[in-house]
Amino acid sequence: MVRIFVFVSIMLFSSHADDAYERNCIKCHEVLPFSLQEIFMRYLAAYGGENNVKVGLDHYFKYPAKDISVMSIAFLNHYGIDHHSKINEEELKQAIDIYWQKHKVIGRLK
Amino acid sequence: MLVSKSKGTNSLLASEKKSLFRFLTLYVLMMMSIIVLIALFYYQNQEKMMFLSKRDTLSDYAYEQIKKLKILHNTFPADNTYPRDPRFKSGIYDLEYVKIFSILESDDIDFNKDMYRTSDNKIHFVKTLFEYYLGAKYLFLEIPDDGDWREETWENIFIFGGLAIIFFTIIGFYIANLFLNPMRSSLLLLDRFIKDTTHELNTPLSTILANIEMIDTSSIGEDNKKKINRINIAAKTVSQLYQDLTYITLEQDIHKNDEDVETKALIENRIEYFDSFAKSKDITFVLDLKKSYIHINRHKWTRVIDNILSNAIKYNNRKGVIYITLKKNTLTISDTGIGIELTKIPFVFDRYIRFNHSEGGFGIGLNIVKKIIEEYDMKIEIKSKPSEGTEVVIKW
Repeated sequence: MVRIFVFVSIMLFSSHADDAYERNCIKCHEVLPFSLQEIFMRYLAAYGGENNVKVGLDHYFKYPAKDISVMSIAFLNHYGIDHHSKINEEELKQAIDIYWQKHKVIGRLK
Repeated sequence: MLVSKSKGTNSLLASEKKSLFRFLTLYVLMMMSIIVLIALFYYQNQEKMMFLSKRDTLSDYAYEQIKKLKILHNTFPADNTYPRDPRFKSGIYDLEYVKIFSILESDDIDFNKDMYRTSDNKIHFVKTLFEYYLGAKYLFLEIPDDGDWREETWENIFIFGGLAIIFFTIIGFYIANLFLNPMRSSLLLLDRFIKDTTHELNTPLSTILANIEMIDTSSIGEDNKKKINRINIAAKTVSQLYQDLTYITLEQDIHKNDEDVETKALIENRIEYFDSFAKSKDITFVLDLKKSYIHINRHKWTRVIDNILSNAIKYNNRKGVIYITLKKNTLTISDTGIGIELTKIPFVFDRYIRFNHSEGGFGIGLNIVKKIIEEYDMKIEIKSKPSEGTEVVIKW
């Protein structure tokens, strides 16, 4: 009985802890040699400000293409480009917002 | 014709002063505007020169700082220490003008200029990044402005601006004098003419007046009496004019012979003198005279009273009244005549100024009055309303 309670509690806790970013991004990127932070810094170097980065990410997820990717040619040739995103609009927006919050530079320099 | 300057016309008339003042105001305003514009242009130019002298150094600093930002971009977040340099302060902003990080001392941030001076005397150099390391599009470098160039610039502006003002003011006075010369020459010519003719009036005038006094009016008819009276009035009017002209051309510089003059008796005497003139216009005098003494040259004081009385009669209406009040230190003479417009009152003391040409004269009477009043530190005030009359108050 106690075992069942602990198992259910862990399951419930873990399902609530998952956010749109963790659910949709981390799993796929775990297998890639570039961390999400490194990819974020590439986006930041290419797009600059918060809105620009978010718009760039949103566009890439909807219309992935080699010529607009921030990754190197060698990387793209080896791993190819991601397929069209299946996640819904709201979920994508949430995931991008969380991604920005987790990796942004503003407020983290000293 | 040669015209010599006389003391009478040396001083500027009010109308002359007004013209001179208007011209100089306009001239000075234009001159100052030009000097200010030149100073502004010079100041901006000096500022640009100062920027130019520092631009190369700051470009080098910016290049070094961008290299450091690039390294930090690649090592972030493992290393999150913003690169600092003792030679300058810096700050980075993204393309949405959001501050990423800054150690700038001045908050005066301008994204539209590549180099500028802040309100708190810092120099900001702005470098745009083509690759947005750490998300930065704008790199601001800040160094203090020592202000040496500014001090030197202001010094030059004050020295050369001051010299220019002095130079142009001298030129302005010269030009103003050129403009006023024709007016002044006319006045000098008139002065000369009056001086020359005055000498010729004395003998015939004295003869006429003396002979009128000697005529035995009891033995002549009423009709002839009237004619003689008219001759008497006319001769006295000319005599009055002669006295003024003599005063203005010959006697105005006499300062001697001041004495305590009993004004009540003097006024009564002058009323008697003008009696026939006043009667010819049915003018009556209303007197309120107290005994009063004044330390003055009797002849000059007589000129003052005569001129005011003669104006009060000349510009009074037929059957008008002249009120004369004499108190300890105040003489008031008012009439019920045609009056003077308010705007013209400030000019009544100007020589050759006459607002009414129905009566004779050169327009020198009140000019003489003003000169004497000023000479003895007295005060004169004229109140007047057209069609109601004029009041002249003298205080001493």
